[in-house]
Amino acid sequence: MRASSPLVLVAVLVAVVAALFVPAQALAVDRTFAGSAQIDYHFIPDRASREGQATQAFGGFTLEAALKLSVDVSDHLSANVKVCVGCHGFETDMAYLDYRFADELNIRGGRFSPSFGAFNLRHDPANQRLSDKPLAYDMGRMLRLRDWNMGVLPSPFPDNGFEVNGTHWFGKSAQADYAAYVVSGFKADTGAADIDFVQSRSGSLYYIDNNERPSYGGRVALTTRFSQFRDMTVGASGMRGTLDPKNDLTYTILGADLAFRLDRINLRLEYLVRREDLDVSDPSRFKYDVPTGGNYFLKHGGYAEVELPVTRDLDMIGRFDFLYRTGNVLTTSELKARSAVVRYTLGTAYTLERGYRVKLSGETYSFSDEGPTGHHVALSGHVGVVGTF
Amino acid sequence: MKKSPIAMRVLLLSGALVASASGCSGTQPPRAGEGVATSAVPADLKEEYALFAQRCSKCHSLSRALNNGDHDPQYWARYVSRMRRQPSSGIAPEDEPPILRYLNFYSAQLRAENGGVDAGAQQ
Repeated sequence: MRASSPLVLVAVLVAVVAALFVPAQALAVDRTFAGSAQIDYHFIPDRASREGQATQAFGGFTLEAALKLSVDVSDHLSANVKVCVGCHGFETDMAYLDYRFADELNIRGGRFSPSFGAFNLRHDPANQRLSDKPLAYDMGRMLRLRDWNMGVLPSPFPDNGFEVNGTHWFGKSAQADYAAYVVSGFKADTGAADIDFVQSRSGSLYYIDNNERPSYGGRVALTTRFSQFRDMTVGASGMRGTLDPKNDLTYTILGADLAFRLDRINLRLEYLVRREDLDVSDPSRFKYDVPTGGNYFLKHGGYAEVELPVTRDLDMIGRFDFLYRTGNVLTTSELKARSAVVRYTLGTAYTLERGYRVKLSGETYSFSDEGPTGHHVALSGHVGVVGTF
Repeated sequence: MKKSPIAMRVLLLSGALVASASGCSGTQPPRAGEGVATSAVPADLKEEYALFAQRCSKCHSLSRALNNGDHDPQYWARYVSRMRRQPSSGIAPEDEPPILRYLNFYSAQLRAENGGVDAGAQQ
């Protein structure tokens, strides 16, 4: 993948640019230009959580903005390019081509987020009613983010590679989806104690792989319609790969999700777990003794949330989410052999104008460890506005 | 100089963004939430609109489609087809014709309200 990934990206970009400049009338090319921007103020009353050490939370203003171009070159060929900027810096979130033989068989190549879980399809802030993501998918908005190294699978997780996917309806009441992919995978240095999410997606590293072994995974989901406006989706996902240049450290991520849509009410539940190898060749780096078979850790995460329309303009949102980690940690870590965080969120989203929404939410964190603040409980709040076009 | 309270700064920023949004509203059928007011939907398209509003708000807000501008039937056909194929979209092949009937009507409505000019069209 070291040599092929940049070539795939270049090929996709060239194809998309070519599609843009081909006379629209000649091929009947359809283009959709869309975007979103969210400005959010994250208020953290307990300032001790941020002072005197490396940043443990992004307080203050955070901007997340994205621009997306979709081009339907024909009924079979389409291309998507999306760029975004946020607290991770500038990022190419999508740059891929889809060639569709049928609804049941689509070949995707380029840079994209491989199909995993239910949340990632809604990761754009314009598609969420709350300002931040569930802890399992957190990419830096949570408190104590450095201690926890963010969520189980920070979303989005764009990567270079290929995916085969498809969908099929059984009559009018059941839809089945599948996806299988090979991508370059998450990255970390030799001997690392966890995934390096910056290295995994940083454009400054040219989106190239750090080893030549692709990661792989897939997803299956089934949507069942109870009535015209009520349905349920159940899904399962998995991915596996190696992190380091020597391919010694393996990670496996599994997920399950269940979502109900009852008229305008959404109820969602999702669970993820990541098993990741630790390099224990130097036991002195670790806080606890390294027993036989103790060369890995598990990181669990999950959430349950409900979106409840109160009026045509106002939605109420409630969310419960958690992270739970078991396994050894570095001596420098604030975590213990077993650490957990539970969060309760209550929020509202008010539509001021079509495509323009105000978001307010309050969060209560309950940590199993005292951490740098000396407290187990922490509060934070969000005030944000999001616009989409 | 004493800094203004954080809450005040947030309020001022929100106010500025709200003001800018209200000044940008174009000529569109009256809204209801993210959707269209029922008064702007003809009686013979109410079922189509209800289906569009339910199906097309599962993964994103309705504004994604409604603020997309005025387009020809081929554009909407490919757009809706691409959305239908999204995983767990909940949009069945049988849902496409009624959704397209509403979106084509909506495009014509936009065109009429903008004096026949293709306001917002991408090509």
